[in-house]
Formats: sequence, C-alpha cells, structure tokens
Amino acid sequence: MILNNLALLRFRNLIEVNQDWNQNFNIIWGKNAQGKTNLLEAIYLLGYVKSFRPARHHEIICQHEEQAFLKGQLTSQGVNHQLEIKLTPNGRTLRVNGKPVQRLKQFFGYLRPVLFTPEELGIVRGYPAGRRSLLDRAILHVEKNYLDYYQQYERILKQRNQLLKRQAREQELQPWTVALINAGVQIRHSRIIYVERIRPLLKDVYQNIVGSSETADCIYSTIQKHEDELKEEFAAELDRKHIKEKQLGQTLVGPHRDDLDFYVDGQSLKTFGSQGQQRSFLLAFKAAQVLDQQMLFGEPPILLLDDLASELDMERQSRFVDFLIKQRTQVFLTTASPEILAEAVKNQAGYYRVDQGKINTLSPE
Amino acid sequence: MLDSIPSFARLVAELSKFPGIGQKTATRLAFFLLRQPAVEAEALSTAILELKRQIRFCSICYHITEQNPCGLCTSQSRDESLLCVVEEPQALLAIERSHSFRGRYHVLHGALSPLEGVGPDDIYIAPLMQRLGQGDIKEVLVATNFTVEGDATALYLARLIHPLGIRVTRLAYGIPMGSELEYIDEATVNRAVQGRREF
Ligand SMILES: [Zn+2]
Repeated sequence: MILNNLALLRFRNLIEVNQDWNQNFNIIWGKNAQGKTNLLEAIYLLGYVKSFRPARHHEIICQHEEQAFLKGQLTSQGVNHQLEIKLTPNGRTLRVNGKPVQRLKQFFGYLRPVLFTPEELGIVRGYPAGRRSLLDRAILHVEKNYLDYYQQYERILKQRNQLLKRQAREQELQPWTVALINAGVQIRHSRIIYVERIRPLLKDVYQNIVGSSETADCIYSTIQKHEDELKEEFAAELDRKHIKEKQLGQTLVGPHRDDLDFYVDGQSLKTFGSQGQQRSFLLAFKAAQVLDQQMLFGEPPILLLDDLASELDMERQSRFVDFLIKQRTQVFLTTASPEILAEAVKNQAGYYRVDQGKINTLSPE
Repeated sequence: MLDSIPSFARLVAELSKFPGIGQKTATRLAFFLLRQPAVEAEALSTAILELKRQIRFCSICYHITEQNPCGLCTSQSRDESLLCVVEEPQALLAIERSHSFRGRYHVLHGALSPLEGVGPDDIYIAPLMQRLGQGDIKEVLVATNFTVEGDATALYLARLIHPLGIRVTRLAYGIPMGSELEYIDEATVNRAVQGRREF
C-alpha cells in the first residue's frame, strides 16, 4: 500500500499542501510546532476518520475558516484509489473515488495506517481503555464487520444502561441483556482470534528489535474459543453482577470493560518493566500489525512514526528501520534530527522540511 | 427579511418541518406555491386536511386506513393462521410490494428504545397479545427492522409469544444490519420472508 499524494486545505496550520511522496521512507523534519505531527494526523484521519488526538472538527479546521479538505491518492493491491474528507463545524462528508459514502464502513479499508506516537507509551501502564483501543484500532482494519459489531454493542450498552438506571422491570431488561450478549460475543470472538494470530508475530519481532532473548506476549482476558461457550461465559458474568448492576445503574462487565495484558518474560508490564521495555513492546506490537496485514492482504500497511528518534536508541532504531525496509513498508516519520536516521535509511528516503505549515522537499545538510 | 411578510414566513416555517427539507428548499417551495393559481393551493390544503380527517388506524391491525377495519383485515383471501409484525406502515407496504407474504399484519408503530423513552406500553404490543389470545394464529413472523432497537423488540416479543405455543419466526439475514425495511428492494425482502427462521 502506497500513499502517492496528499492534498490538504486549511487543515490545522497546514493551509495548502499538495505533496507527492516517496514509496519507501518519508522523513518529515523541522523544528517543533511547525506542523509535522499535523501531517501524520491528516494521513491517519484518511484511514480512521477519527483523529488520534482528542479534537472536535472545528479545532481541526484552521482558525477563522469554515471547512477543511483532505484528499489522499493511494495504490493498494495494484488499484488506485482516492479518499476525500470534508470537515465542517457541523460534521463531515466522505468520498471514495469521487463518490460520496454514507457509512463509515464503506470508507474503511482503503488506507490502513499503523501509528506509533510517544503519547501512546502511557497505554502500557495506564487504564484498560487505552489498551482496548489499541486492540480495537488494530482489528478495525483487518476485520470488515468489526465496526458494525462495535457500533451495535455501544448502542445496546447505552440502551441497557438507561434501563438499569431507571430500575426497569426484569422483563423489559431481558431483551437488551440478550442483545448485549450476542453483540458482545462477536467483539470478544474477533479480539480473541486477532490476539491469537498476533502473539507469535509479536514474540518474533520483539526479539529482533530488542536483540535480546526476552519473550514478549499479550493475553486477552477471555481465552475460550467457541461462540456458544463465550455466550454462556458472558451470561454468567452478567448474572453474577446483576444485583450490583442494578444498584449502580450500569453494565459492569463485557467487552467494554475487558483488558489486554502485556508481558515480558512472564512479568506484567503494567507493574514491572522498564521504560525501554514498554517502548520496545509497543513498537513490536505495531510491527506485528504490519506483519499481520502483510500476511492477510499481501501488502503491508503504511506506517506513521511520530518522533521515533527521541524514543529509541540508535541500535534499536536501525534494527527497526531494517525490519521496515525488509517489509517494503511505506513509512512517514517525523523528527527534529533527521541526520541521525540518514545512515539507516541510506538513499531510500525522501526528505521534507516542514516550516510554519509549509512543506519543502529538502534534505538536511 | 421574511419577517416583514408574516404569511410567507409562516409557510416557510411549516414547510421546513418536513423531513429532508431545510430553510432553503422550504423557501423555494413557498415561492412555487405563490406563483400557482389559487385553486392549486386550495387543492393542496384540502388534500392535507383530508389526509388527517379520513385516515385512521385500523382497529385490528393498526395499519393506516380510510375504512375500519382495513382491506387487509377484511380480505377473504389471506391466511388467518399467519401474522406479520412490523414497526411502521411503510414496512408493511414494502412486504406487500414483494408479494412474499399472504397472511395478516400487525403494526407496532415503533420499536423499544429506552433512550428515547419508548417502552412496551408505548407501542401497540398489548393489542397484539390480545389478537394472539384469540387462538387462530399459528405463526408470528417478526419483521421489525434490522436495527439494534428492532432486534430487541423482536426478542421481547418472542419471549412474550412463546408461552402461547405459537411459532415465532424472524426474517432471514441478508438484509444489512442497521437497515429499515422500507428502503430494501423487493427481491431482497422476498428472500428474507421466504427464508424466515425459527426464533
Ligand atoms: Zn387492519
């Protein structure tokens, strides 16, 4: 998958961008707060529609302007596609190959970016929500129906919580409990399958990047396999919490409360683990996503690396870059010190200097 | 600007209450009506008034009708033992268009949705249960929409109806999740009715 061109209008501080990209490495460099991360955000948005930074539409649109445009031209599996997003303070319009699409699902799957950003490091030790979101975003692009499951589950959850809050009769609650179980099991099932698929990849990649014999692993809290078993299990969990749910007026168990546990050599990274291990783990998780997509679709996703240089020592950096070159992954990488990477990427890179929201094709001297 | 022409402003305000009609289109429609001869405007207003005066819910199936009971309920050629439950009259019309169902109907006029304050007593479930209690019906096909709310309503009904010893079926999948029946093509509705399955 290659992003050939990105065009932006009034997107944050990027007033007007129309940029062709290198098929391998794109090194986006310049001083801080010039718009480097905004560029990655724009690419990410074309893949996920939602930003990785918490923001409302009107904050993304350049100040005093009414709307922002994003357009990406890409080649995936030999076919060219064009993705467009128009953002206004009231909402957004999406187009694929010039045609408007109503459902988010129809927009997904063309551009599948995998993002690594220093802000994500908190995920390893933070609340389960962060790890769940890491997992969900990974699955979203490899399983077509996951977004549907997810949106259904969220809606059922809200409906059911409303009834719990109102102390509704058992008879009224019951269909929503059944619906919650049905939708919840789909999510858990998809998560289990994904985690099982990614575990061996993670283990391999972690050893390759860290260059040590440590074993990385991730475990999703539910480990049973068949959907019927999962249904029974979820029903039993809800049963056990039923009185408490009624007292608190909300659904206390389910995919929206599950956790994903990270381990290195059998020790949980939530409580043990150095900063270095956390970083390596997260990077390995992303690299495993790259390998997984390579196996599923016959091509890697594009990789967005925000400020990687500050996060990894030289040795890990060059191992990681080697890995990416081997996978023929198109990479977009921001850095304040491009010279550090020069040796590793050799002549496979395009350099783009970002200065006050403007991009110049320019190598550092 | 419109404020200085109250009668015009009032019409625009009324028209913009229509689904899918904004201020701009409403203004265009109002100008159109203004250019029409008076008889045209009268015909329109009469049609609207008649709609409200003549049309009511059938006292048996709750479909919209001018005659009570409605034609579907009085027809001799329909299967008494089969009942199809839909959310809205539009869904009934979609199933009729598909020519896949020859039983009778029941319109709920809504689906369960706690967030919108719609519970079992807010839609026509009680009259449905009364009909089923009379004993002629052997199968209920629940054709509520394929939305979260439509599914929950179907689950709720299945649980109420099962103890009566009546077979409960649901439309086959093949209709995309999140869709309302009225927007589905006839062939797909036909397949969904033919392929209905036990709850
Ligand atoms: Zn009737």
